[in-house]
Amino acid sequence: MNLKEFRRILLQALYFPILLLLLLAAFFLQQIGMSSSLQRAIVQSEGIANLLAVLQGEILQQEAAVRGYELTHNRSMLQPFDQAKAGISADLTELQQRLKGDPAQLQQLAVLSKDYEQWLRLAQNLLDKNPASVNDPKSHAREEAMMEDIRATVNTLQKNEQKRRAILSAQTPDLAHRQFIQIFSASLCIAMAMALFMRQRLKRVSRSYTAALGELEQRSREVQQSQQRYQTTLESIGDAVISCDIRGQVEFLNVIASELSGWSMHDALGRPLTEVFRIVHEETREPAENPVQQVLRKKKMHSLPQHSVLISRSGKEYLIDDSAAPVVDAQGEMTGVVLVFRDVTEQRRSEAALIAGEKLAVAGRLAASIAHEIHNPLDSVSNLLFLLRDETDPGKRAEYLEMAEQELDRTMQISRTMLSLYREPKSPVKVDLKDLIEGVLLLLERRIALQKVQIVSELGESCIVEGFPAELRQVVTNVLVNAIEAAGMRGRLRVRLEPTPPEEFRGAGAVIEVVDSGPGITDFAAQHIFTPFFTTKGEQGTGLGLWVSMGIVQKHGGMIRLQNCGLEDFSGACARIYLPAKTLAGDRRIAAPVA
Amino acid sequence: MPKSLILCIDDEPLGLQIRKAVLERAGYRVVTAMDGPTGLSIFARESVDAVVLDYAMPTMSGADVALEMRRIRRNVPILLLSAYVNLPPEVTGMVDLTILKGDGPEVLLAKVRELLPGESGQAAVERQP
Repeated sequence: MNLKEFRRILLQALYFPILLLLLLAAFFLQQIGMSSSLQRAIVQSEGIANLLAVLQGEILQQEAAVRGYELTHNRSMLQPFDQAKAGISADLTELQQRLKGDPAQLQQLAVLSKDYEQWLRLAQNLLDKNPASVNDPKSHAREEAMMEDIRATVNTLQKNEQKRRAILSAQTPDLAHRQFIQIFSASLCIAMAMALFMRQRLKRVSRSYTAALGELEQRSREVQQSQQRYQTTLESIGDAVISCDIRGQVEFLNVIASELSGWSMHDALGRPLTEVFRIVHEETREPAENPVQQVLRKKKMHSLPQHSVLISRSGKEYLIDDSAAPVVDAQGEMTGVVLVFRDVTEQRRSEAALIAGEKLAVAGRLAASIAHEIHNPLDSVSNLLFLLRDETDPGKRAEYLEMAEQELDRTMQISRTMLSLYREPKSPVKVDLKDLIEGVLLLLERRIALQKVQIVSELGESCIVEGFPAELRQVVTNVLVNAIEAAGMRGRLRVRLEPTPPEEFRGAGAVIEVVDSGPGITDFAAQHIFTPFFTTKGEQGTGLGLWVSMGIVQKHGGMIRLQNCGLEDFSGACARIYLPAKTLAGDRRIAAPVA
Repeated sequence: MPKSLILCIDDEPLGLQIRKAVLERAGYRVVTAMDGPTGLSIFARESVDAVVLDYAMPTMSGADVALEMRRIRRNVPILLLSAYVNLPPEVTGMVDLTILKGDGPEVLLAKVRELLPGESGQAAVERQP
């Protein structure tokens, strides 16, 4: 049942009884009217009877006066006659009024009036004549007869009235009884109708209410279960989770978070996050900004800076990796912040070991290439010494010595170049990527030549970014060596350097794109290429090159993307190294320079 | 008996010149080339007795040159010079001998002698202390 229907039922429950009660009231009114009209009729009938009695008296009075005068001839005897005349006339008119509803009585009254008028005329005639003639027996008899008629008519009228009253009076108890039954049954009917109606409506509301209650109960159970499930999920998740409200007060922390922070859920509840989740920079020991404040400011998920250290309640320290995200309600309003973090102390240690391993491998490769570069002049020097041993011609000796010096100079030069390449500044410096790439290409020249790889170099203008040159050189070398190896014998390679506009990546910077004509990378390789120990080179690779490269580029605030380029000339892989103009790397380096 | 003719190929001009001097001192006749294609044209034209070939060269590697030479004349011995320690077996299998740059002239001459047994150059060897 929806709210609209519920309102409709409420309205029905209000108006239907009112309507029924109104009907009942009308019925009552009608019954009251009926009995009061009966009473009125009785009273009226009594009035008529009284009036008829008065009329009879007055007529008797007149007749007595006339008789008196006839006997005495005394005019004074006629006084009542005259007095009654006006009264009789008024009474007749009154009676006519009152008997209006009764035609039979009216007819009798008309007869009475007519008889009375005749009698009155006759009496008047008698009285107007001289008293002697009054005793005319004929006239007297006529007059007497007329009076008899009048009396008879009045009697009839009275009898009729009496009869009517008797009928009306007889009706009264009957009516009362009937009315009682009618009113009783009407009230009963209406009460029953109301009861039935209300019962039916209430039943409907009650059914809906029960259903709604059941539904609510079910939903509440589901919500509870869901909450339980989330709680269990959060509890059993391998990462530490702390959530807090918008003011930064802790609302929840799971077991792992309790273990790492040293705060139990009970103790931490309602405390400021900064007290429970104390983080400082690994090296500077400066407190990190409150993650809640950062999320409030940025209104989006963000990661803690690297090298964050969590100091637990007991003072134990953990290197952590974490992210903070806003918690938003259904209206999109931020209601809190959730922190997810994990202890990466061990991971960092093994990563450091891996990086060191890769550095060793890089150093090994570098040493091999230095040895190769140096072998050529050393070979010459060795040959020259052999020649010098038996040479007696001073001219020739001088020539050989000069040549040996030249070759030794070359050796020295190579060694110096190598040293300067890997002498790393302590803070980021401006690096011209064009120079850097050209330097790397020069270093790889022999290798490129050996494999007869054709290089299409589209380096364009100088591109300056901030960074650590040796590390960036390591990245570029790695990507180029991979591309050369992928391109294979007589393959083709295109190296392109171009500035990127601010909207393409995180702010302005540069992108180094290396595409090759090799077989491209498989989906599987694409997914794992940046993970440690993944290699497509069998025994030849350490599987760390791209992983370390990614680490270096990410430290600079950049990104490496590797995919198949699908170009006509370069069907192989396309590696794009994005580097921001302003590095995110701090004054310290993750990887020490390879020297 | 005419002196043996050795073809020396290397992209390093100074190294090539010095190697030529060493071989000449040992009594060999030496012709030089700065790259593979030039070397191949000399090889096709002259009756070369042995080849001293550098492995790492631009445009055409020592391995490619050796392969081509084997096509032209299969019995001419080839000594492959390299600064790399571990050359792929398919490369080393294609030449008669290999030598590492920096091994020194004695080794070089010994290997050349191995390639040309009983040939001239003995004089030079005899001259050695």
